[in-house]
Amino acid sequence: MQESKDAIILKDVVKSFRKRTIRGEYTTFKSELVRWLRGQRQSRDASLITALRGIDLTIPRGKTVGIIGRNGSGKSTLLKLITGIYTPTSGTLEINGRISALLDLGAGFHPDFSGRENILINGIILGMTRAEVRARMDEIIAFSELGEFIDEPVRTYSSGMYMRLAFAVATHVDPDILIIDEILAVGDEHFSKKSLAKMTEFKRQGKTIVLVTHDLSTVERWCDLAAWIDGGYVRRVGKPSEITTEYRQAISLAEAQSAAFTPPALTEGGGALPEVHAAVPEVEAAPPVRLTGLHLSTSEGGVERELSPEDRMEVLVDFTSEGTCEDVEFVVALKGADGQLLYGTSLRVEEPRQLPSSGRVRLVLERLSLLAGAYTLQVTARAAGGSATESRAFQVGATEPEQGVFRPAHRWVVESSSPSVASSQPTDVSPRLAGGGHR
Amino acid sequence: MIRLVRELYQYRGLLLSLVQRELKARYRGSFLGFLWTFLNPTLHMLVYVLLFTVVMRQNIPNYPFFMFVGLLPWIWFSTSIGGGASAISDRRDLLTKVRFPAQVLPTTVVVTNLCNFVFSLPLMLGLGIAYGQWPTWHVVLFPAVLLVQLIFTLALTYILAAINVTFRDLQHIVGNLITLWFFASPVLYPFSTIQDENIRTLMTALNPMVTLMTSYQAMFYEHRLPEAGPLLVLAAVSVALLYGASSIFESRREEFAESI
Repeated sequence: MQESKDAIILKDVVKSFRKRTIRGEYTTFKSELVRWLRGQRQSRDASLITALRGIDLTIPRGKTVGIIGRNGSGKSTLLKLITGIYTPTSGTLEINGRISALLDLGAGFHPDFSGRENILINGIILGMTRAEVRARMDEIIAFSELGEFIDEPVRTYSSGMYMRLAFAVATHVDPDILIIDEILAVGDEHFSKKSLAKMTEFKRQGKTIVLVTHDLSTVERWCDLAAWIDGGYVRRVGKPSEITTEYRQAISLAEAQSAAFTPPALTEGGGALPEVHAAVPEVEAAPPVRLTGLHLSTSEGGVERELSPEDRMEVLVDFTSEGTCEDVEFVVALKGADGQLLYGTSLRVEEPRQLPSSGRVRLVLERLSLLAGAYTLQVTARAAGGSATESRAFQVGATEPEQGVFRPAHRWVVESSSPSVASSQPTDVSPRLAGGGHR
Repeated sequence: MIRLVRELYQYRGLLLSLVQRELKARYRGSFLGFLWTFLNPTLHMLVYVLLFTVVMRQNIPNYPFFMFVGLLPWIWFSTSIGGGASAISDRRDLLTKVRFPAQVLPTTVVVTNLCNFVFSLPLMLGLGIAYGQWPTWHVVLFPAVLLVQLIFTLALTYILAAINVTFRDLQHIVGNLITLWFFASPVLYPFSTIQDENIRTLMTALNPMVTLMTSYQAMFYEHRLPEAGPLLVLAAVSVALLYGASSIFESRREEFAESI
């Protein structure tokens, strides 16, 4: 019975704050006196701030859900409601399972105590029992990679060490539901990889993860579902790639309209971003051309694994259109983790040709050339009267210690300038980074 | 009240760890370390001894011992409500980040100071023995008196901690009132030095610490059983106060995370 239930069910949840608590003014004798002298013109209701205006959200068991939205749109308030730190002003909230919240790393750390002592207290604060912490102590210490520093007072730690220790404890609590607020990027490259692996493990164990982040590519890559909170409401819930695309469009639209980016909770109507219906084709509207499938494939199959810069990749786009489609244009955009366009091209620009009314377009990248990182490939089919967009995320892993974004086809040649050396032949020393790219 | 106590029991692991940490943290980094648990009240006592045996002469036999008997539980009480008042408002880092019952925090303060009190008991007994006052069988009631004081202190601390979240002046008001309260309680002087019977009755009725202090002094210094009547009344009042304190606490706890 328990298994089939959703992990978190929110029904029409509203959360208001008294304004004084937001402005950080406390009731003191002086402020009360001043208010009384002024004849208490402020009524209690007028100073209410509504952060969440009515949230309906269901988070299924075992899914990873990303929550996105502007700063101040109510994401963190929502997490605090789910964790039970705040109680909703109205509405109901149902939680099924043990929750562990990583809202802040190192809650309750005491600077004068050693790492080991802090693990104990922090673990207990996060909801473990003494015995559980003791049992996992070695595992946590190993994960934190602090070595012999573990018995030094925490105040002597560097901020990176502090975060690593805190993260190690937080991820060793064994919850059913894990709530994460923007903390995956902890420590150096190596450690953040390790943290990601830990998260993957959580996912594989079928735990429910709720993640608040501004890193949209994380949402695209990681989450099964995305929820967009805007102006105190759930604006959209759905496939991560769709939600993030619309979110990005709404942001750029708002910037284009030079909408004031004021704190949403303080704005009339919740300060929602502009609607982007004009930019996003509705499914019912039946655009003249539709993308029925978008696949990325490599010589070794799909793109679930980490790709190598030398991999050959094919972009397969299935489309159907109504009637002839002389004016259909396929635009491919390759974007980095931050949404920056790395490469963009179009079929019509490069090879103008007559297209069938339905079929498949293949874009063959003989060599991926990209260095380690997260990327998104976006395909847009544009015709007069509408367009359709699909995107896929993929990841490239590091194989060589290189820097930058891409690896041009190259090879190294060393030539000696001294004629006395017997062999004055140029020496080719680089079979390693195979030029030409066909490996 | 039952919910409050039940949650405390559920989170006893957390409470225990926090108390342990407070005890360790208090003197961490200091050269004499744990010895300060004994040194602090001793030095405190010596100041008053100097005042009352040299400057203002009092004719009380074994005066340092007499004063110590009252001073130790008083220190427990005053540090508890002094620290307990800001127990919740000072722990913003915990309350806004992790979910746990807020009453753990003021309870930690009271229990930590209770531990300090218990640890310094051997010092008090030792001082008594030095003056030739061996403890008698009357001390069997000590745990009962201790329990009454614990309930009373907890109740008061909960109320102060809950109100101080929104009304921060309270912690300063408490700090000053404690001094007044100290002199209104028979710690430095025997209660019997107040001649007027009516004033004595009034003080006992208004100040629960009178009953507690005289009870400790009866058991350890005068070697007799404390008066049962006032103690039983105080026990009942303390439980009632704790009941009231928990309802105040319960009604305000939702605000804690938002207001601090």
